[in-house]
Amino acid sequence: MTLASSPAHITIDKLTFDYGGERPAVDSLSFDIAEGEFIGLLGPSGCGKSTTLRMFAGLLAPTSGQIIIGGENIVSRPPWERNLGLVFQSYALFPHMTVAQNVAFGLRLRKVGKDESAARVAEALRAVRLEGFGNRRPAELSGGQQQRVAIARAIVIEPEILLLDEPLSNLDARLRDEMRFEIRDIQSRTGITTLFVTHDQQEALTMCDRIAVMNGGRLEQIGTPVEVYDKAATPFVAGFIGRANSVSATLSLGAGAPRLEHEGQALPAPSAGELPMGAAEGAKMSAMVRPHAIQLSRPDASGLTARVIRSVFVGSVIEVELELAGGQKLVAELRPGSDEAQLAQPGAEVALSWRSTDMRIFAA
Amino acid sequence: MTKFLSFISRAYVTLVFCIVFMPMAIILVISFSADSYLSFPPSGWSLKWYGTVLGNTSFMQGFRNSAIIAVIVAALSLALGLPAAYALVRLDFPGRALIRSLVIAPLVLPAMMLGLGILMVFTPAGLVATYPGLVLAHLVMTLPFSIRILQTTLSNLGTDVDEAAMTLGARPLQVFMQITLPRLTPGVIASSAIALILSFDEIVLSLFIVGPRLQTLPVALYRYVDERTDPMVAVLAVLMIALSLAIVLVVERSVGFAKAFDR
Repeated sequence: MTLASSPAHITIDKLTFDYGGERPAVDSLSFDIAEGEFIGLLGPSGCGKSTTLRMFAGLLAPTSGQIIIGGENIVSRPPWERNLGLVFQSYALFPHMTVAQNVAFGLRLRKVGKDESAARVAEALRAVRLEGFGNRRPAELSGGQQQRVAIARAIVIEPEILLLDEPLSNLDARLRDEMRFEIRDIQSRTGITTLFVTHDQQEALTMCDRIAVMNGGRLEQIGTPVEVYDKAATPFVAGFIGRANSVSATLSLGAGAPRLEHEGQALPAPSAGELPMGAAEGAKMSAMVRPHAIQLSRPDASGLTARVIRSVFVGSVIEVELELAGGQKLVAELRPGSDEAQLAQPGAEVALSWRSTDMRIFAA
Repeated sequence: MTKFLSFISRAYVTLVFCIVFMPMAIILVISFSADSYLSFPPSGWSLKWYGTVLGNTSFMQGFRNSAIIAVIVAALSLALGLPAAYALVRLDFPGRALIRSLVIAPLVLPAMMLGLGILMVFTPAGLVATYPGLVLAHLVMTLPFSIRILQTTLSNLGTDVDEAAMTLGARPLQVFMQITLPRLTPGVIASSAIALILSFDEIVLSLFIVGPRLQTLPVALYRYVDERTDPMVAVLAVLMIALSLAIVLVVERSVGFAKAFDR
């Protein structure tokens, strides 16, 4: 494989885009991308991830801030001088050209010789497993194939960074799973630094080296899939990535270890260093816990109790809906056939517990 | 019940169709008349009026003038309409929304008023009964159509494909020539065809500014009907319909009007 790129280190510094709305669409975004890294930009629609991508591509001019690629701030460069590969959600192939002409387009503009161009086009098509499709028109291809042509067209120019804008959302479910691995495979073979925009946490978790979670134009957290899933930095991240239950609680410092109480019932003890800095006695807290971390047992005097509302068998797990004393609802996932599952009879009172490492505590 | 309804709706469509096409059918029949006046049904059949039309210098001169004007008008409609449509769809400038709605104003104003206005401007400018004068007057009618059609085609194209070309290294002019323009072909052909037909058939504005030196075919026909009524006018009408139909068919076969309007 000679389709090597020259991966560059990228620094995004206080990148801001403000079109004069209530708040900036992208608000002082800063993070670094290492050479050859596959970064996911994850967030709900309107979080500013696509705006960020368009600023990368030069299709939008940032209000302020810098994008530094290989030591150079590129924000004032027009898109045609950036050497970035952008793959659109709509693929955006040139319908009046063949597949080979589509892929060769960027090379033609770079005045690459005919023979070299043909060789590189063939190589790019091989990289996306579309050998022999060069003479087809885009309209004759399936969605997944068009997608791969778009990727070939973007990587053939050996871009400094590959930008993928929701590349999977127009594909059907089966093809999407396939293309996930396909894209990741192409990326690791070529070593291209990649910025992948998605609203789908599953895609981000399964594909990315690191995930930058955005909300309301701001960066909530950046970290590996395991970090953002297990060590959510904000309530938003905890709620957006995977399912999370939120239990409101009051902090009581008292003597000894700090305690969290919900309606007078004690939550599992928070681990040291887990409490937000400067939390005072009586502060309102919110404890986040994943459905699979909740354990059920017979009710006892101390600890959190709940009433089972219903339990539903969904195949690999049993989903149990629980109601706390104060009326808050939680969902727990239990292993079918386990002792716990026996306890989860509708109407039954149960005690809830979880390991303190499975709990994230935020100021409410 | 459904059978009855389907019968009613079919009958209704047939009726509407008849109302629309009856005049054309009658004219077609009359054009093959052997009579020396307009009557329906004709008492005998012949092709002699077709020969008479082709031998009539006033009509043949008018046809030549109309054809020349229509071709120039179509070309200018495209040359002026495409940049205008591009600006209205792709560029952001103050007053864009206002201009967008004003563009179609010539279509909603009474043609009489336009004609009068044009006459008052053209007379002192010496444009009456000249090729440039007629071309300019026809452009007033055809440009709004061209701009509208090209605007629709252009906004249906979206910006993704052009932006993709840009990120691959194409400068704006290269993007337009190599990506946008080829994708606009259906709209370009459809708008040119419509400008051609509109100009060739145009009569109201033409009436104001033709003169003995320069007359278009529709005006010649109109003047002729004023004085005499023989099947020659039917023949001319049939020939004009045939020409328009031919243009429409060519467009439909090559790109398809539907394609020009929604893809």
